[in-house]
Amino acid sequence: MDKIIELRNITKSFDGEVVLDNISLDIYDNEFITLLGPSGCGKTTTLRLIGGFETPDSGDVLFMGQRINDVPPHKRNVNTVFQRYALFPHLNVFENVAFPLRERKVPREEIETRVEEMLAMVALKGFEHRSVTSLSGGQQQRVAIARALVGKPRVLLLDEPLAALDLKLRKDMQQELKNIQKATGITFIFVTHDQEEALSMSDTIVVMSEGRIQQIGSSQDVYNEPKNAFVADFIGESNIVDGIMLRDKSVSFSGHTFACVDGGFAPSEPVDVVVRPEDVDIVPAGKGMLQGTVTSVTFMGVHYEVIVDIGGFKWMIQTTDFVAEGEHIGLYIEPDAIHIMKKSEYSGLYGDYASFSNEFDELSDAESEGSE
Amino acid sequence: MTKKTTRRNLVTGIAASPYELWAVVFILVPLAFVAYYAFTDNSFRFTTANITRFFTATSSVAGEDGAGREVRTYLLISWRSLKLAAISTVVCLLLGYPLAYIISRASPKAQKTMMTLIMIPMWMNFLIRTYAWMTILQDTGILNNFLAGLHLGRVHIIGTETAVVIGMVYDYLPYMILPLYSIMAKMDHRLIEAARDLGCAPVGVLRRVILPLSMPGVVNGVTMVLIPSISTFYISQKLGDGMFFLLGDAIEGQYTANNLHFAAAIAFILMVALLAAMAVMRHLTSKYTYGGAAA
Amino acid sequence: MKRASKIFTALMFVFLFAPIAILLLFSFNEARSLSVFSGFSLKWYRELFRDTETLKTVRNTLVLAVCAAGVSTVMGTAAAVGIHRMRSKYLRSALDMVTNIPMINPDIITGISMMLMFVFASRLFGFAASLSFITLLIAHITFCLPYVILQVLPRLRQMDKSLPEAAMDLGCTPWKAFWKVELPEIMPAIVTGMIMAFTLSLDDFVISYFTTGTGFQTLPIRIYNMTKKTVTPDMYALATLIFFVILALLLLSNLTDSEDSQKLRAARRAKRAAAGKPPADPRKQRILYACGGSLALVAVAAAIVFAVTETDNKPQVLNVYNWGEYISDGSEGSMDVVKEFERWYQEEYGRPVQVNYTTFASNEDMYAKLSSGAVRYDVVIPSDYMIARMIEEDMLLPLDFDNIPNYQYISDDFHGLYYDPDDAYSVPYAYGIVGVIYNANAVDEADASGWDLMWNEKYAGQILQFNNSRDAFGTAMYRAGMDVNTTDRSLWQSALDDLLAQRPLVKSYVMDEVYNMMESGEGAVAAYYAGDYFTMLDAQADTVDLRFYYPDPTNFYIDAMCVPSCCQNKQLAEIFINYMLSQEPAIANAEYTWYASPNTLVYENQDYIDEMGEDAMAILYPGWDDFAAQYNTYAYRNLDGELLDYINSLWETLKIN
Repeated sequence: MDKIIELRNITKSFDGEVVLDNISLDIYDNEFITLLGPSGCGKTTTLRLIGGFETPDSGDVLFMGQRINDVPPHKRNVNTVFQRYALFPHLNVFENVAFPLRERKVPREEIETRVEEMLAMVALKGFEHRSVTSLSGGQQQRVAIARALVGKPRVLLLDEPLAALDLKLRKDMQQELKNIQKATGITFIFVTHDQEEALSMSDTIVVMSEGRIQQIGSSQDVYNEPKNAFVADFIGESNIVDGIMLRDKSVSFSGHTFACVDGGFAPSEPVDVVVRPEDVDIVPAGKGMLQGTVTSVTFMGVHYEVIVDIGGFKWMIQTTDFVAEGEHIGLYIEPDAIHIMKKSEYSGLYGDYASFSNEFDELSDAESEGSE
Repeated sequence: MTKKTTRRNLVTGIAASPYELWAVVFILVPLAFVAYYAFTDNSFRFTTANITRFFTATSSVAGEDGAGREVRTYLLISWRSLKLAAISTVVCLLLGYPLAYIISRASPKAQKTMMTLIMIPMWMNFLIRTYAWMTILQDTGILNNFLAGLHLGRVHIIGTETAVVIGMVYDYLPYMILPLYSIMAKMDHRLIEAARDLGCAPVGVLRRVILPLSMPGVVNGVTMVLIPSISTFYISQKLGDGMFFLLGDAIEGQYTANNLHFAAAIAFILMVALLAAMAVMRHLTSKYTYGGAAA
Repeated sequence: MKRASKIFTALMFVFLFAPIAILLLFSFNEARSLSVFSGFSLKWYRELFRDTETLKTVRNTLVLAVCAAGVSTVMGTAAAVGIHRMRSKYLRSALDMVTNIPMINPDIITGISMMLMFVFASRLFGFAASLSFITLLIAHITFCLPYVILQVLPRLRQMDKSLPEAAMDLGCTPWKAFWKVELPEIMPAIVTGMIMAFTLSLDDFVISYFTTGTGFQTLPIRIYNMTKKTVTPDMYALATLIFFVILALLLLSNLTDSEDSQKLRAARRAKRAAAGKPPADPRKQRILYACGGSLALVAVAAAIVFAVTETDNKPQVLNVYNWGEYISDGSEGSMDVVKEFERWYQEEYGRPVQVNYTTFASNEDMYAKLSSGAVRYDVVIPSDYMIARMIEEDMLLPLDFDNIPNYQYISDDFHGLYYDPDDAYSVPYAYGIVGVIYNANAVDEADASGWDLMWNEKYAGQILQFNNSRDAFGTAMYRAGMDVNTTDRSLWQSALDDLLAQRPLVKSYVMDEVYNMMESGEGAVAAYYAGDYFTMLDAQADTVDLRFYYPDPTNFYIDAMCVPSCCQNKQLAEIFINYMLSQEPAIANAEYTWYASPNTLVYENQDYIDEMGEDAMAILYPGWDDFAAQYNTYAYRNLDGELLDYINSLWETLKIN
């Protein structure tokens, strides 16, 4: 595969506040890559650098090997689907989609066929003469996608395009976007703060935080092999506890020594240990490796979410077996369920469910949506 | 319906009623009086003579070759007024549009300061401002002294159409900038980015996005400049060396000649023409406007 | 690109502020001229503060603007709220349309339409003095209202509809919900609307011109009425002061309250209101309301109080209606005649009197106002032909000369003249003779005689002609030896032909512009009044040498004091007329206006003669064998309406050529 976009050592700050801190990233042709991170992590700025709406303070943006730092947006073969679509309110659906073609003085008949093609692709045939303001959010979204794709860009940038849609519609659109990407073979660079979205759609995920790239990898990589506590926590649910790597394939935490599959650490090196909630089995009290008391049980539909107090550290466990609050239970963990990470600046910040509540999580989600 | 909402409707229903009454008594009734005077003679008997006079009165005007030529007096006056007003409006638009755009893209603080600066001249009496322009533009005035100081020769401006246009543009430019600015300041910046992203060069962005989106502002601005400039009499008197005789002069002249009925007739015709023109203009441009849904 | 736009912006601001810079500069001019700067002086600022009449009009203008802005803000905001909630689409769009009318209608039409209505109403309901502060206020409110509504309405439409609902849901009454949630939300628009209304009211001339009446004059009208003489630099001083006050206020408000902080606050408030939390920073908010609300309330209260005190007939009010700049007003160390009269009356009669002194720009202007029946004056000072017309139309009262003993000092020459053959209705105030003024540095002395100088092709492009029909036709008719009062239309037509022939030579048709143009040398030849020649002489540029002569025959005019039939206190009016004839004020007026006085107490007074100088006396009082005969032959007389209409159309023909 060929590199289509390269970011080299890019730094960008606004009003003295560093937004991107020495970022380097290669993006390959025909790939669905997602920039994932909480609000303020620099993902949108990265997108805008590629789109040409910002220029880096230092470092280079390369498009097919050529430096394009100073190429204005309209001369880049890159199009954007904007967060709230930015459809032109004075133009109807057809004219919105035809916009880039008219700019390029494409012959009339060709415009007609290409726009119709695009509208067919996004399932909006018959909406040509509707005013864009009369469309629903999902329909506007489709128009925005059609408009961005009609000019056949090499790269499509999508800036949280699904954020304003409701859950059901969002799921459908995820699938549809993925299909469109496959059908057109265009590189998609997708920005989101929603990890589920990222996991389900991407070939490659770039996890970002505080202006730095934390990890680049496939969905499975970042989920199963998070590089640090931030990634482990941000992608899915994780119990992250302090541990000591006794030797290869043996780690001690929570007062017990476990067999594991990782190695390559110094003897007795302090590490972060990640155990996913779904990888813990509940066994009767006295059995298993760890003992604890159930402090809360929430029914989630497919499973129960159980918070277990183990020596003062609260674990989250997802199980299909019912346990009662206050019950003493034992926990069993398979060796391949244990993931060992080097200590990082994020150690100790995440992974304890002592203050966990669903409501709290949603609240912070809503805030990040609103502010970006 | 709950008690609260009914009471609410009652309260807000009353809110507009003083204005409704006011609008009828002080906007509509006076206009009815203009019509009444326009269609009556000095003893208040019905007549269409005033109206027909406007369209049929003739004067002899010397042509290029010096030979006399019969022209319809008031139609000629109307045409000249319209021409000057149209030129002034276009100049206002050409100057005001970029300025409004530049201001709307400045920092919030700079925006406010610049808009304030644009408003300030409006607080000086407009008669005095026009007087000051006389001082600047006359043959021995400030401008010519300045040019002479630079050995650039002199220009004769006072008494020409240029002088009248300068005066009108100066006095009415803020009326063009205000509506343009207010619509541009509200304009969604992402639309401009979207256009750039979709391959528009800056000129294209202006033509294909900014211009159509600011159309309501253009309509308002054009209305607010065209109307006072078509009916002004002071500016043309002072800066036009008294060489221009426009609709405003005609109305004022008939008023001072105590010819109220004919003055009302001219006013009535002007009013009907302007209302019709505005209706047509709004209708035409409503295609480009979008009901404020994006605002 | 960036650079180009910066340069463009800078140039635009230069354009916008160039005239203001000129105002500023010339407000410090030593001489009276507005075109020749002769040295730095603060004199005009001193004059300004001595000029009580101007200061009064400034006060009037401000009171009017505050009242108009206040009332239209309150009513307009209420209207916007009402329109916004209106269920009926038809009513709403109908109101929208009506609201647009005052904006789409030219000022001149709005002005005329309101005047017609007020005049009609005053006839119908018998209000004697209906044109007054109240009518002016109504007119100003009417044209300010749309601006307020069109500011507030869009803001309401933008507002989140759930905001007031959230407030009511949280237990607010509808009224409280409006007051606590909606009002702060639309406050910025209300404030902008109010500022716009204030600005428009402050600057309006045209609508005020048609709707103003007895005893209440605004600054723009006063300035316009100065056109018989000329705009004096103290007006520039005033403009300069206004400029700096406004600049300071606006910059101050800019520093303390930037737009973004306002927006931020609104956003925060909205969030909190939606979340059911009490509004943030209630103290600041309350101050904002308090300011807006109390300003509006003060304005309404002031309007009412002012209206009541203005219409409430004080025991002694004298309404005087005179030409602009036609009385000694205390400037440049002169006597403030109006003030002195008030003082003198108090001393003499032991009662106070208040003189409302207002001005007009032309006889026709005065006649239109007076004949409408919607104003009330006690003393008017029109010109001869207009007096004849007013006598004919029973608009003047015969005077009781027992109350005007000073009439004895009027020269015998001024008895039994055509306009008032029995000397029953008028007392001459000043008179003048039209002469030709020329710049000796541009005009050959040999050419300087008779009316032909104004038709001399050698001076093409330097000749100034009157910009009013009667005087302009007069020059042509005197030149051709015609009777200026002929009813023979063919003679008028031939005079028009002469004027048309003259038109290519004419630089400019002028009224008060003649001062600037002659002083600066822009024009070389002009016909104007003898007294005004001296005013120009005073301010002529170094390169200009103005001279004066009388062509023969020429126009004589007399302005005389009369009592109109709408007078409320005839005796007081006559006392005022008598006072004006007494020596001190009469001399003060003659010295101030530079016009000749028919009063022997003036022109035989040695101090006056010395003050004027020999040359001026020779020009102003040339001496004649039979004044009455000459006057009766050459003065303008009242012409009938149809002929006037005909002349007006000839004038239009001249002007459109």
